[in-house]
Amino acid sequence: MTAILSARNLNKVVPSAEGALQILSDLTLTLDKGDSLAIVGTSGSGKSTLLGLLAGLDLPSSGEVSLAGHSLTGLNEDQRAQLRAEHVGFVFQSFQLLDSLDALENVMLPLELEGATDARQRASALLERVGLSARLHHYPRQLSGGEQQRVALARAFAADPDVLFADEPTGNLDSQTGAHITDLLFELNRERGTTLVLVTHDERLARRCERQLRLEAGRVVEAEAVQ
Amino acid sequence: MTKLPLARLVLLALRQLWRDTRAGELHVLFAALVIAVAASTAIGYFSGRLNDAMQLRATEFLGADLVLRGSAPTVPAQIDAGLAAGLDHARTVEFSSVVATDETLQLSSVKAADAAYPLRGELRSAAEPFGPETAGGGPAPGEAWAEARLFTVLGLSIGDHIEVGRKPLRLTRVLTYEPDRVGDFYSLTPRVLMNLDDLPDTGVIQPGSRVRYRDLWRGSPSALQAYRSQVEPSLEAHQRLETAEDGNRQIGNALGRAERYLNLASLAAILLAGMAVALSANRFANRRLDASALLRCLGLTRRDVMVLYMLQLGVLGLCASLVGAGLGWLTQLGLFGVLDGLIVQTIPSGSLWPALAGIATGLVALAGFALPPLAALGRVPPLRVLRRDLLPVPPSSWVIYGAALLALALIMWRLSLDLKITLALLAGGLVAVVLLGGALMLALKGLRRLLAGAPLPWRLGLGQLLRHPLAAAGQSLAFGLILLAMALVALLRGELLDTWQDQLPDNAPNHFVLNVLPADVEAFGARVSALSDFAAPLYPVVPGRLTAINGEPVRELVSKDTRGDRATRRDLSLTWAAGLPDGNRVVAGHWWDEDAESTAPGVSVESELAESLNLQLGDRLTFSVGGLERDARVTNLREVDWDSFQPNFYMIFEPGTLQDIPATYMTSFHAPAGSEQALVDLARAFPSITLLQVEALLAQLRGIIAQVSLAVECVLLFVLAAGLAVLFAGLQATLDERIRQGALLRALGARRDLLVRARRTEFGLLGASSGLLAAIGCEAVSALLYRFAFDLEWHPHPWLLLLPLLGALLVGGAGVIGTRRALNATPLGVLRES
Repeated sequence: MTAILSARNLNKVVPSAEGALQILSDLTLTLDKGDSLAIVGTSGSGKSTLLGLLAGLDLPSSGEVSLAGHSLTGLNEDQRAQLRAEHVGFVFQSFQLLDSLDALENVMLPLELEGATDARQRASALLERVGLSARLHHYPRQLSGGEQQRVALARAFAADPDVLFADEPTGNLDSQTGAHITDLLFELNRERGTTLVLVTHDERLARRCERQLRLEAGRVVEAEAVQ
Repeated sequence: MTKLPLARLVLLALRQLWRDTRAGELHVLFAALVIAVAASTAIGYFSGRLNDAMQLRATEFLGADLVLRGSAPTVPAQIDAGLAAGLDHARTVEFSSVVATDETLQLSSVKAADAAYPLRGELRSAAEPFGPETAGGGPAPGEAWAEARLFTVLGLSIGDHIEVGRKPLRLTRVLTYEPDRVGDFYSLTPRVLMNLDDLPDTGVIQPGSRVRYRDLWRGSPSALQAYRSQVEPSLEAHQRLETAEDGNRQIGNALGRAERYLNLASLAAILLAGMAVALSANRFANRRLDASALLRCLGLTRRDVMVLYMLQLGVLGLCASLVGAGLGWLTQLGLFGVLDGLIVQTIPSGSLWPALAGIATGLVALAGFALPPLAALGRVPPLRVLRRDLLPVPPSSWVIYGAALLALALIMWRLSLDLKITLALLAGGLVAVVLLGGALMLALKGLRRLLAGAPLPWRLGLGQLLRHPLAAAGQSLAFGLILLAMALVALLRGELLDTWQDQLPDNAPNHFVLNVLPADVEAFGARVSALSDFAAPLYPVVPGRLTAINGEPVRELVSKDTRGDRATRRDLSLTWAAGLPDGNRVVAGHWWDEDAESTAPGVSVESELAESLNLQLGDRLTFSVGGLERDARVTNLREVDWDSFQPNFYMIFEPGTLQDIPATYMTSFHAPAGSEQALVDLARAFPSITLLQVEALLAQLRGIIAQVSLAVECVLLFVLAAGLAVLFAGLQATLDERIRQGALLRALGARRDLLVRARRTEFGLLGASSGLLAAIGCEAVSALLYRFAFDLEWHPHPWLLLLPLLGALLVGGAGVIGTRRALNATPLGVLRES
C-alpha cells in the first residue's frame, strides 16, 4: 500500500524568553490510505503542533512532511493551501463553524469553493447522514455542541478528503455526546476510506484508532498498534 | 483543485454578502457609507445647482450670457458666427444725445434696442412716474420709454413727444429697470430707450460719434464656448467680450463663503462617516479572523481570501453608494422644493456628476479606511484554527495611516478645498491628535494610581479604560474628533448666519441717489434724514480717469481683462473725504491726519485694485479730471466692504485736492415701505437727481441668503447623523468584549445595576474627556478657519465649555444604550459561546 502521509525527522523549535524551545524532536511516521492514528499525550506535549505540521498549516524547523505524494518542503503557504483543498479535511475542538452561515451553508462551503454544481444536494445528504436533516437552516448558535460538531463532521467529509485531521473532536462535548460523535466519525471514515489523524486526551477515542502515538515533551515515547 | 476562478469567487462573495447581510452583520458599515455618499452627493448637487442659479442671475446683470461690445458696429462675420453656432441674438446701440421737446433740451443717454432685447432678465416699466412696476415688453417703433427724472426735468407726461435727432418719438412708458444697467449707476444723464428700427431715421450716428455697440448672445455653454473661441481671435482693438463672471460682488461674496462652508461641512460629514466606515470595517475584519483561518484551511490562498472579502466590501460599497447617491439626490430635490417660493428663476437641474462624484467619494472612503483592516485578513495564519491566540502579522502602521490619509487627501481635493486650508487642517489635525493623545495617555496613567481606593463601579468602569490606555486614548480622541466636527460645524453655521444678517440688516440702503448738485447738498441731506431712518453720508463725485503711474502711461502697465484693466478703461468716480468711510479698513499706510500739512496731495486706493495695478505706497498717480491733469501720491491702501450697499470708491482723495473741480454728490439711504409718495416728492424737489431703487437686488440677495442658510442647516443634519453613526460604530466595535466581560461579572454575582453604574462611569468619563478635547480643538481650528477660510473675525466661544458635559451625556447615553446587549445577554449563553 502507498503512503498517503509521511513525516521524516521532524523538528520544531520556537524562540522563547529562555532561549530556543524544542517542541518536537526527531519525529518520523508513515500512514497508508485508510489508516487511523491517534496522537495522545499531556497538555504541552506537542500534539497540536504535530497535527499542524502534518496538515501543512505550519512548517517544521527541519525534517520533511509528504502529503498525498507531494513534499510540503519548499511549498509556500498558498501552494500548501491548494494541497489542503484537494486532499485534507478538518474537525476542530471548537467546531469552527461560521456564525453567519446556517448548518447547510456551512457544509456547502467547501463544495462551493470546489465549484460543485450540486453542493446543496450533497450537503443536505451529508447532514441527513449525520442525523441533522431537521436542522438544515439553524445557525450555529441555535445548535447544541454535539449538533455543531456533527455539522463540522459533515463539512469535513463534504469534499471527500484523503486525510481527515481531527483536533480533540470530542474535547468540548459530554461523554455521551462525545461517544456519538466518535461513532459517527469512524463510520464515515470507514465508508469513505479516509485516512484519519486525530489528537485527543480521550483514551477511549484513542483506542478506537488502529495506531497510537504517545508524545511527551515533543518526543515519541510509545507507538503501538491496536488490535 | 487548481487556482480558484474569479467567477467562482465572485459568486461566493455574493452569497456570503447576502448571508452576512441577513445576519445583520453589516448594518453600521452600510449606514456609514450611505451617510458619507448622501452628504457628499446632496452637497455636490446643491452647490452645483446653486452656482448655476447664481450664474443665471449674474447673466441677468449682463442682459445676456455673453456680450460683444465695441465702439464700432460688429462686423457681419462675427454676427454670422454666433447665428451659425445656434445662439440667440439681440443688439443695442448706446449713445449720448440731446433730447428735445418744443420748449427745452436735455442731454440724455439713449439706448436703441431691437425686439429681442434683453435676452436675460426683463425690462420693467410703469404707466406713470413712480407708479407701480410691471415687467416685460419694450418700446415699439415710433415709441420711447424714459426714466422718471427725464419726465421731471422736461415737465413731460405719458403720450407727449420727444425728438431724438430728427426722429419724433411718443413717450409710452416710464422706464424703471434695465437688467444690464445695474452696474452702471454712475451715468449722469437720464436714460431714453427706443427701438433700434428707428435709429437710422434719427440721423444721430455719424462717423466719429461716441457710440457703444452691444451684441447680446444667449445659448448653451458649449455653443457659447464655440462662439467665443471662434470670435476671440478676430476681436478688434475696440471690441471686448463680457461674460457673467463680471457678475455681482455681493452675491459672489455670500456665495463663496457659503460654498466654502458647505464644502467644509461635507468634509466633516464624510470624515465622520469615514471614521464609522473604518471602525465598522475593523469590526468586520476582526469578526472574520476565524473565518479566514478556516477558509485558508479549506484551501483558499491568501490572495483568494483577500479577493473574497474585497469583493464583498466592494459590492456592499457599491450598493450603499447607490442608495446614498439616490438619497442625496432626493435630499437636494426636497431642499429645492422647499425653496420654491424663494427662487424666482427655474433652477437648472444638475447633471449626473455630483452623484458619480458622491459614489466615488464613498468608494474612496471605503478603500482608504477599510482596506487596512481587510489586508490583515489575508495574513491570518491558518494555524489559528488550532491556536486561537494567533493574530495576523500587523501591517506596518504607515500603510494604515497612509491609506487613510491618501483617501482623505483625495476627498478633500475632490471637494476642491483650498490647498493651503486643506494642508493646514490635515497637519493641524495630526499635531492636535498627537499632542492631545499624548496628554491623555499621561493623564490615564496618572489616574491609575488614584484609582486603588475608589468604589467598585469606578474601578470597574475606569479599569476598562485603564487596562488599555492606548485604546482608551484612541477612543477618547475619536469621540473628541466627532464632537469637534459637530461643534465646529454648528459654530460656523451660527457665525455665518449672523454675518449675513449683519451684512443685510433690515435697514440696509435700498435707494442710491446720484447727481445731487453742490448747491442742494444741505437741503437734500435734510430731506433724506426726514424720510429715512438710515442714510449714508453725501460723497462728492468727480469723474476722472487714471492715466499714468509714476509717469508711465497706465495702458502700458496693465494686463488685459484684469480688474486694473477694466478700471482704467473708464472714468472712475473719484471722491474726497476727511475721515475713513464706514466699512473701509486701512491695510497699508495711514489715513491722513486732518490737520497735517502734506506736500503732495494723497490718495487712498482700494487694495484689490492696487494689487491688480501693482501699486505701492508712495507711487505717483496721474488722473485726467475734467480735462485737467492731477497728481496724487498713494498714501494708504483700503479694504472695502463691497457688500454694504453704501457708496464705495476705488479712489478717495485727501480733502482739498479736487475741490476746484465741479462735483455732484451721491449717497444711499433706506426708505421704509410706504414712502413712494415721499420719493416722488423728493425727485420733484431736486430734479437733477438720479434715484435708483435697489430693493429688487436686495430682495434677490436676501433670497439667496435664505437658500444658502437652509443648505447650511441641512448639511449640519448630515454631520450630526454621521457623528451618531460613528458613535455607534465605535461602541459596536467594543461590544463583543463588553458582552463577554459583562457575562463573566454577572456569573461571578455582580448585580445588573453595578454593571450599569460601571458603564455610566466609563462612558461618562470618556465623553467628558472627549468633550474637553473637542472644546480645545474647536477653538484652535475655528481660529484658523475664521482667519484663513472665511474672513470672519474670531473671538472666544465660552459655550464650548459645555462640550465636556454634552460629551458626557451624549457618549454616556449612547454608551449605555449601545451596550445594552452586554447587560441583557445571559451569562451562560455568552460564556458557552466564547
